[in-house]
Amino acid sequence: MASDRGAPQARSVNRPPPEAKSLLEIEGLRVTFGQTAAVRGASFSVARGETHCVVGESGCGKSVTALAVMDLLVQGAQRSADRLQFGGEDLLTLPAKRMAALRGDRMAMIFQEPMTSLNPAYTIGSQMAEVFTRHRGGGRAAALERAAGLLGRVGITAPGMRLGQFPHQLSGGLRQRVMIAMALMCDPELLIADEPTTALDVTVQAQILRLLAELQRDLGLAILLITHDLGIVARIADKVSVMYAGEVVESGATAPIFAAPSHPYTRGLLRCVPVPGKVKRDELLGSIPGVVPRIPPGFVGCGFRDRCEHAVAGCAAPVPRQNAGGGHEYLCRLAPGWAA
Amino acid sequence: MSGPAIEVRGLRRVFRVGGGLLGRDREVVAVDDVSFSVPKGGVLGVVGESGCGKSTLARVILGLLPPTAGEVLVEGQRLDTMDRRARARLIQPVFQDPFASLNPRRRIRDIVAMPLEAQGGIGRREVEARVLEMLGRVGLSAEQAGRYPAQLSGGQRQRVAIARALVLRPRIVICDEPTSALDVSVQAQILNLLAQLRRELDLTLLFISHNLAVVEHVATEVAVMYLGRIVERGEADALFRAPRHPYTRALLASVLTPEPGLGVPDVGLGDILPDPANIPPGCRFHPRCPVAEPRCATDVPQRGAVECLLAAD
Ligand SMILES: Nc1ncnc2c1ncn2[C@@H]1O[C@H](COP(=O)(O)OP(=O)(O)OP(=O)(O)O)[C@@H](O)[C@H]1O
Ligand SMILES: Nc1ncnc2c1ncn2[C@@H]1O[C@H](COP(=O)(O)OP(=O)(O)OP(=O)(O)O)[C@@H](O)[C@H]1O
Ligand code: SF4
Ligand SMILES: [Mg+2]
Ligand SMILES: [Mg+2]
Repeated sequence: MASDRGAPQARSVNRPPPEAKSLLEIEGLRVTFGQTAAVRGASFSVARGETHCVVGESGCGKSVTALAVMDLLVQGAQRSADRLQFGGEDLLTLPAKRMAALRGDRMAMIFQEPMTSLNPAYTIGSQMAEVFTRHRGGGRAAALERAAGLLGRVGITAPGMRLGQFPHQLSGGLRQRVMIAMALMCDPELLIADEPTTALDVTVQAQILRLLAELQRDLGLAILLITHDLGIVARIADKVSVMYAGEVVESGATAPIFAAPSHPYTRGLLRCVPVPGKVKRDELLGSIPGVVPRIPPGFVGCGFRDRCEHAVAGCAAPVPRQNAGGGHEYLCRLAPGWAA
Repeated sequence: MSGPAIEVRGLRRVFRVGGGLLGRDREVVAVDDVSFSVPKGGVLGVVGESGCGKSTLARVILGLLPPTAGEVLVEGQRLDTMDRRARARLIQPVFQDPFASLNPRRRIRDIVAMPLEAQGGIGRREVEARVLEMLGRVGLSAEQAGRYPAQLSGGQRQRVAIARALVLRPRIVICDEPTSALDVSVQAQILNLLAQLRRELDLTLLFISHNLAVVEHVATEVAVMYLGRIVERGEADALFRAPRHPYTRALLASVLTPEPGLGVPDVGLGDILPDPANIPPGCRFHPRCPVAEPRCATDVPQRGAVECLLAAD
């Protein structure tokens, strides 16, 4: 789809061979923290110029998945995968030093709360310049010039003045724009955004999401966007992975997932969202009973079964990944078409 | 008794904020001459962006914060002249973060019993019975009543906070972002619970949220706040069908419903965020307003249901 677009900027280093379909390929990713299996065999891929959304409730493994890709998991976390490739590099065997060189350069990440990744003691300009000189070398003046250009690119007026300001002098929306500009300093191929608008007002959220969509179109960026908000997913995703209890339980292109959600969890989540004009006042919203369970290593069967209205005894045994056609898949005993 | 459940007249709340070592103190007008009333059994939804004064309004109505000017009447009475225990039987809050408001060292049943015990004169067995009855209503078991807050999920803790607020059977409940910290699935559980309890117990609600879709679902009337003022107020259906203030329109446009293919709308607001210590002259919304005219920078809109110069034309 968008893979024919490519990044407009000439990039001399590490250009992957053109036949590589996806920029990021994750297969069978597992992460455990002691007695918690946080990610249990997740697979998905992100192509250039594509926005891939990972969606699910709190605690279902979205952030851990992103951190596992960036190799930023805390000590004591155990990561394994059948395959973890980025732009032709095997991230499973890549030495730590080369991984560190990738981070912030070819792959960049922005978080929910920009203050956790901005240093309050340094100006915006020096933090942005540092990212660039660390990865690309060169002088500070050139880096600052690039920073000013990118601040303008993300819609910040008077970028020259902003370079001299400290993070606390900016509003939440402006800080998130600064984070995006900083992530773009080294012209990344992949941008991982973990709940980038969750802490923002709705009007500011809309502005930031429009910005991300526009940058992706103009720069051919691949975006992996993590959110718990199905509204955001519907509006900006090309592809969706619905995560539950560490697994991707449903995946595919956005339109079919919303037109024919097939995993009971996806269907439940969609029914919970209040949509103006859809559910009358005082009529009950749909809801999913219970909460996301903590799943121990060695768990077998469908992770959703104790909240699922369609659960039967057989759901305690391994359940198949059903193929609903056109790349739309889901993990459930119920065969395609069951919900129609 | 007839008359409104809540009546707010000319309410104003100013905070004095230190200007740092050398700076001068600044005045933040968090609530700026606000008047409205909520009929008995109504649900007033209050929406607006972060810092517009929603929580300050809630705290002044609850009597937790004195107003700088104006007055609040709850069922016709001023709370500051009322005995604490009578006040607790009349009006109760539910806040966003139940964890912060639940004592971590007390068991759930003791937390919910506290308002009853503070009333005095209620026997132990009755307290116990009423606590268990209320916990049952909010969907918590007797086993969970013996746990500590840390042993419950976020949604369960919010149920505890609701049980604690309702155990005295107040007639009015002020909910300040009661579901903002929760997952959509848990939010749906809590909204359904509030709707059911409201009907069963005949409650009047003031429901604060930054999520318009949630407000649309629960409110009978909506007040849109901007920089301390209610800039548009009206019956919920009418306001959602035909918003008149440009800020209300921008808020509504920002709601991202799960409908693919629509993209993210351009809400048309600039980046200049308002500073409550420095309220713009004329219409306070004019620096961000997508349809502002020159006169909007100088003329103050008339007070009323829609505070916009263009709406008056
Ligand atoms: N450092 C850690 N040590 C132990 N367990 C962890 C750690 N980080 C995450 N977990 C666990 O892994 C699971 C997945 O967590 P993760 O942060 O990925 O959730 P999430 O989907 O990002 O949720 P949220 O929407 O709340 O951000 C949770 O059960 C969590 O408690
Ligand atoms: N105790 C206080 N001292 C000084 N300023 C305060 C105090 N409480 C609130 N303010 C200021 O008053 C204004 C309104 O704050 P308030 O908490 O009422 O907003 P809000 O609408 O509830 O925002 P949010 O959606 O973030 O909860 C803000 O500018 C805030 O900084
Ligand atoms: S496998 Fe069983 S429990 Fe799991 S979602 Fe399908 S029906 Fe429900
Ligand atoms: Mg997370
Ligand atoms: Mg508040």
